[in-house]
Amino acid sequence: MPFETTLPFSAIVAQDTMKRALLLNAIHPEIGGVLIRGQRGTAKSTAVRGLARLLPDYDAVEGCCYRCDPVTPETWCTDCRLRARDGPLSVIRVSMRIIDLPINASEDRLVGTIDLESAIRSGTRRFEPGVLAEANRNLLYVDEVNLLDDHLVDVLLDAAAMGVNVVERESISVTHPARFILVGTMNPEEGELRPQLLDRFGLCVDVTGVMDISQRVQIIEDEQAFLSDPASFQAAAAPAEEQLRQDLQAARTRLKSVLLRDDIRALIARLCLDEAVAGHRADLVVAHTARAICALRAGQAVELPDVLEALELGLAHRRRDIRGERLQPAQDLATRATQELIEIQSRASLEKAEGAQGEAGAAQGAAGSDAKEGWTATEPRETQPADAADPESERVIELKTFAVKKFDLPRERKARRASGKRSSSKSETKRGRYVRSTHVEKTTDVAFDATLRAAAPYQIRRRTAAHPGGTALRLERHDLRQKVRERKTGNLIVFVVDASASMDAEQRMIATKGAILSLLRDAYVRRDKVALVAFSGRNARIVLRPTSSVDLAERRLERLSVGGTTPLTHGLITALKLVKTERLRDPGVYPLLVLISDGRGNISLLGEEPLVEAQRAASQIRSEGIRAMVIDSTRDHRQRGREGVGRVASLYGAYAFNVCGDLAERLGGHYYGLYDLSQRSIMDSIEREMSRTSTA
Amino acid sequence: MMERQVYPFSAIVGQDKMKLALLLNAIHPAIGGVLIRGEKGTGKSTAVRALARLLPQLAVVSDCVYHCDPDALDTLCPDCRERLSRGETLPRSRRRMRVVELPINASEDRVVGAIDIEAAIKTGERRFEPGVLAEANRNILYVDEVNLLDDHLVDVLLDAAAMGTNVVEREGVSVWHPARFILIGTMNPEEGDLRPQLLDRFGLTVDVEGIKEIPQRVEIVERRELWEADPVGFGERFREEDAAIGRRIAEAIVRFPRVAVPGAILRAIAELNVRLQVDGHRADLVARKAAQALAAYEGTPQVGVDEVKQVADMVLAHRVKGAGQRDFADLGRTLTNLARVSPS
Repeated sequence: MPFETTLPFSAIVAQDTMKRALLLNAIHPEIGGVLIRGQRGTAKSTAVRGLARLLPDYDAVEGCCYRCDPVTPETWCTDCRLRARDGPLSVIRVSMRIIDLPINASEDRLVGTIDLESAIRSGTRRFEPGVLAEANRNLLYVDEVNLLDDHLVDVLLDAAAMGVNVVERESISVTHPARFILVGTMNPEEGELRPQLLDRFGLCVDVTGVMDISQRVQIIEDEQAFLSDPASFQAAAAPAEEQLRQDLQAARTRLKSVLLRDDIRALIARLCLDEAVAGHRADLVVAHTARAICALRAGQAVELPDVLEALELGLAHRRRDIRGERLQPAQDLATRATQELIEIQSRASLEKAEGAQGEAGAAQGAAGSDAKEGWTATEPRETQPADAADPESERVIELKTFAVKKFDLPRERKARRASGKRSSSKSETKRGRYVRSTHVEKTTDVAFDATLRAAAPYQIRRRTAAHPGGTALRLERHDLRQKVRERKTGNLIVFVVDASASMDAEQRMIATKGAILSLLRDAYVRRDKVALVAFSGRNARIVLRPTSSVDLAERRLERLSVGGTTPLTHGLITALKLVKTERLRDPGVYPLLVLISDGRGNISLLGEEPLVEAQRAASQIRSEGIRAMVIDSTRDHRQRGREGVGRVASLYGAYAFNVCGDLAERLGGHYYGLYDLSQRSIMDSIEREMSRTSTA
Repeated sequence: MMERQVYPFSAIVGQDKMKLALLLNAIHPAIGGVLIRGEKGTGKSTAVRALARLLPQLAVVSDCVYHCDPDALDTLCPDCRERLSRGETLPRSRRRMRVVELPINASEDRVVGAIDIEAAIKTGERRFEPGVLAEANRNILYVDEVNLLDDHLVDVLLDAAAMGTNVVEREGVSVWHPARFILIGTMNPEEGDLRPQLLDRFGLTVDVEGIKEIPQRVEIVERRELWEADPVGFGERFREEDAAIGRRIAEAIVRFPRVAVPGAILRAIAELNVRLQVDGHRADLVARKAAQALAAYEGTPQVGVDEVKQVADMVLAHRVKGAGQRDFADLGRTLTNLARVSPS
């Protein structure tokens, strides 16, 4: 492994929670790994790589490529089972390693596949183990895990769930153990993780940069020293590393004897329940983690503080309610935990003492806990409730010209959308990531590796059948395999905004700007792009080319001013051109056009009646297959409902009917009023439109 | 093969910030590359190519596809390691750093490398065919229009840049090799931004603009015409100047480790970045390296506030966002103040 020149683990300044989570996993692999979330440049990967040198040794069956554990025959691979019949297996000591899963991995290497060379040369079908095989009893590390292909994530989840890797491909049928510690690092700015994968990580820590100046200086100096002379830096850190290794070794041996009392067990179950955690994995993880914490501090039995720390590490990513209540101060948790523990203990002792008199016992137990309500003396270990609450307020985008509301789209919806966004535009373009291969009638995009593997087993036969000479490999038509490529195609939301004088009224522009910005914030995470076309005066202009840059959009929006006449057609045509250009660049893009206007088009583009032109433009947009929606800045939806659809509540004599409604119809999209749409519901409408688009 | 004629570095008119950023990286590659933001036709690619010719020659293992450094054992590729462990002596030679281009339409297998199809078909052997990342090891990796790079290629690039190695687990091959390169990207911000994660991987950023002064513009056109008419003769004219810069770089590389960075300066850097609410620590680390490289280039024995001031906007331009931007304007004054109050 290319990890030898990394900064020693013990030399990482601060970031104690992250270091602890990693160490706990090294002590007790059953915890199931850790996910490290944090900003760029916060020593996430450095810590994981540093851990490599601290990992424990263990016994393994000699010559087994899965390093089966000699003492647990039930977890053995088929090979070891067969060999064990012929006598005891020899054992060697190996050290746990970090196995890298690069995000460029293809499926065949992850799960393993047919051994190409031996197939071609000798015609034997042999299984060549993949990354999952290597990961068995090791640590599987995925850097930037949130960028991993969905398809690979599925495979990974499957293996992690069962602890085995089942391979049924390319005329190979193998099942082998695949139990690993999953360690991932990610920057949440780059996108979220699927909830299912999130749950696979035993623990989760959020890291931020160190704010203490002296510590920051220390970091700079350490890096300087390390870069200029890695060897002597490592030598200087060696005693500390050795000490840490010994501590870990000691903790590991102690782990088996760490006592987890029944009342603590009950407490963990209770707390996990209280925290509204999905599933039972949390209980297990917290119990394992608490034991590891206890072992590390050289304790005999798990105590309340151990549980509290374990909760903090194990529950952060599992709580169901995404926002709001989850940020309750940890102080509360400690108090509550103390109370509940006392309650459990008193009930248990009562049950023991009074046996069958359950009714009385329960009553007394309740009374007992009441009496002790004020007793909350236990000081929890240091927690940072203020820290936890802060990110909330930071999410609000500040703009001088207007205030923006914060939109929190529920995560469930986001997840559903996320899977929708990744549509594979298969062989049409030959672009995108090659994730796997398939057998098709007419192969246009040959997957060479898969083709070779398909042909490999028959080579010997074909060679003898055909005339001698020529290339070593004989391919036949049915060997050919097609590449299946996957491309993340994002949505393109084009706002066509009326910036004429009438939009100045009643803060219509403020609401509009707010909606666009809020959407942008979310757009980056999903790789959606947003563009903005504004029209006023005598023409339309592209204020913002398709982008996912929040900064850029913010600046442009700020400058967007209002005034002049309403060249509606110009706006629509400009937007249409924009979408067409973008489609040339990326045929897979899903455009949605959002027109925000009062519909009072009064400037002609081609010399016709402005309104007729706008209608024609709308029909053209529809015929291009572009989804659209219209937000009428003069109208209140609810009012419309009362007055009846189609009837005019017109403030403008020039048009005797509902212009925007008409446009919406011609565009084949929905029609909304701006007034009743709070910014939130503008977002919802767009969301709805986009999901229709994606499934279409 | 005849060497392609390259426009001389010292003949580039103006664009001092960009040239400085490139020079600093040449002195100390660990700075982590440059992102050049600006319009088309501002001499970005010309400068990058010209720079490569000025760099001192590096010692390489002559027949290694990854151009391993025979003196840095811990960065060797698996092949070279195996040869060493067999008791072989690695053959040495010297060569110049090259500019390896990553075209934005590159396919992933060409970037990370893939199975060697020819070998597979002819002999049934499974061999790794190295890609652009292998080529880029110990070279300059140049990505024009980096913001238009396909998402999955950005991911791959990030992975390699972060680890300094390229781990390949695809199409039936499983290999890793060193991939340490100076990443130089150009982009036109009008066409969209870079993802923050990739943005942060670039050590420095410079914003270039077309030169507005008429005499300089005329000068640019004239020189270009001269060069196109007679590249050899034109190159001759600037040979001495280019050679002087080359010598200066070589000297600065030697001087770099001996340049002192006082604690007060480090403190000022850290304080500044905390004040500007910069994410993570990379800004601190890069600022130190860039200032030290600048001092080495200037021949000063110790980093002072001036060096930090000169590199601060290159380090911070792409790392400061939102609220911090307000303080960004008078960076110089803030720094001076910070350095003054910090105990030395």
